[in-house]
Amino acid sequence: MRAELRAELLKQRSTRTTTSLLAAMLGLVLLAVLLHGLALPADKLTSRSDQLTVLVGWGEVLGALFAGLLGAMSITGEIRHGTIRPTVLVTPRRGRVIAAKAVVGMLTGIVFGVVATGVAAGAGSIALAARGLDIQLDGGDYALLLAGGAAAAALWAVIGLALGAVVRNQVPVVVGILAWLLFVEERLVQSIPDFGRLAPGALGRAISGQDPGTLLAPALGVLLLALYAAAAAVVGWLATTRRDVV
Amino acid sequence: MSALSVARDSIVSVTGLTKCYGALVAVDKVTFSLEPGTITGFLGPNGAGKTTTLRVLLGLAAPTDGDAFVFGRRYAELDAPAHRVGAVLESNDFHPGRSGRDHLRVLALAADLRLSRVEEVLELVELDAVATRRVKTYSLGMRQRLGLATALLGAPELLVLDEPANGLDPAGVHWLRSFLRDFAEDGGTVLVSSHVLAEVAQTVDRIIIIDRGRVVASAQIDELAGRGQTLEDFYLELTARAAS
Repeated sequence: MRAELRAELLKQRSTRTTTSLLAAMLGLVLLAVLLHGLALPADKLTSRSDQLTVLVGWGEVLGALFAGLLGAMSITGEIRHGTIRPTVLVTPRRGRVIAAKAVVGMLTGIVFGVVATGVAAGAGSIALAARGLDIQLDGGDYALLLAGGAAAAALWAVIGLALGAVVRNQVPVVVGILAWLLFVEERLVQSIPDFGRLAPGALGRAISGQDPGTLLAPALGVLLLALYAAAAAVVGWLATTRRDVV
Repeated sequence: MSALSVARDSIVSVTGLTKCYGALVAVDKVTFSLEPGTITGFLGPNGAGKTTTLRVLLGLAAPTDGDAFVFGRRYAELDAPAHRVGAVLESNDFHPGRSGRDHLRVLALAADLRLSRVEEVLELVELDAVATRRVKTYSLGMRQRLGLATALLGAPELLVLDEPANGLDPAGVHWLRSFLRDFAEDGGTVLVSSHVLAEVAQTVDRIIIIDRGRVVASAQIDELAGRGQTLEDFYLELTARAAS
């Protein structure tokens, strides 16, 4: 496994894909946090729950989203460019390739999650200070935001990888993850909260302490999301080992 | 059709290999074997089943029926496949934004090879001067050579090349021919597919002709010459007979 892990790490470092995704994520985190922090009416930003959910929570949402895209593109990119062929010629036990991608995706996901939530926390405080609003979040809230953001992004990297391994075509996977996390889940949580709170994006938000009135407790959220990621990893592994390489 | 013996100690041994995609029979009971130190041309029209046969041989696709062994085992069961088999199936299996050197380093790491081997193969295929450039700036000929460098990383005993001369200029084809000759003279075995007869006629020791998924002929180049036949006569006669 060590050889496959080193190869996967170099794959991520040797193209601009990872840094481009990181830069896009940072730009969107700043945009989302500052827009909401500066434009929302003051009464929507005063409570602790509001500040977690509509402001700094964007760090977790976008961290998980971009980690999911990164995980998906680690396999769809190889299929798109054909490098999957030399990859599995060197490592014909394809399960090892998927396992190495999952581990490296989780490590990169942790970095994405910490960076996104850290920047969101900073930008959120600046926006609130600029409005003259009191920050209701304490050290424990920030710690949960960062740790939850890291965990959600790490697990979403595996979910993205599995989706990519099953669907194989990059565009529908990327569009699907974007649409699901940014539009579908929000409607789902609003219209059928009992069902929506169990969706994988809502679990990511729960882990980082957002919307505690509606979403699950962080510990339960991380457990369920880890189960989803494990199940997804098995499906992705089967899809890769049982089917012919494109 | 000459008798095809499938020796257990063959470098490659394909027996009754069949691959179907739904109702389409892409490869139909293909049987052949390769002996060490030889260059075998795997010929046939486009769509004859050459690439599918190679994909199954290299473990990228599962056979519907029959077996394809390299060094007596299925490819996926080889312990360190890159050290025994080098293969190129497509001429452009690279990430356009990755440098040629990094492409090779990724695979060298995965194969647990020392990274100095990357520099050796870059020199061998004469790409050392452009190794830091991203592959998207490479010409088709440079990509073909980078593919060959990929195959050679693990210093394999067997090379499997699918249409390696596609897009090469005459100097490139000449370079490839002499490279393959040297490789075989050093004891290596080569299986090279092509639909262009002229590319292989001067290089190969033996040919296997496949048409519509079936092996229609297998012959030593010397035998053809002995009968006063050119490869082209032989090929056209066979594929015409199969068509009628």
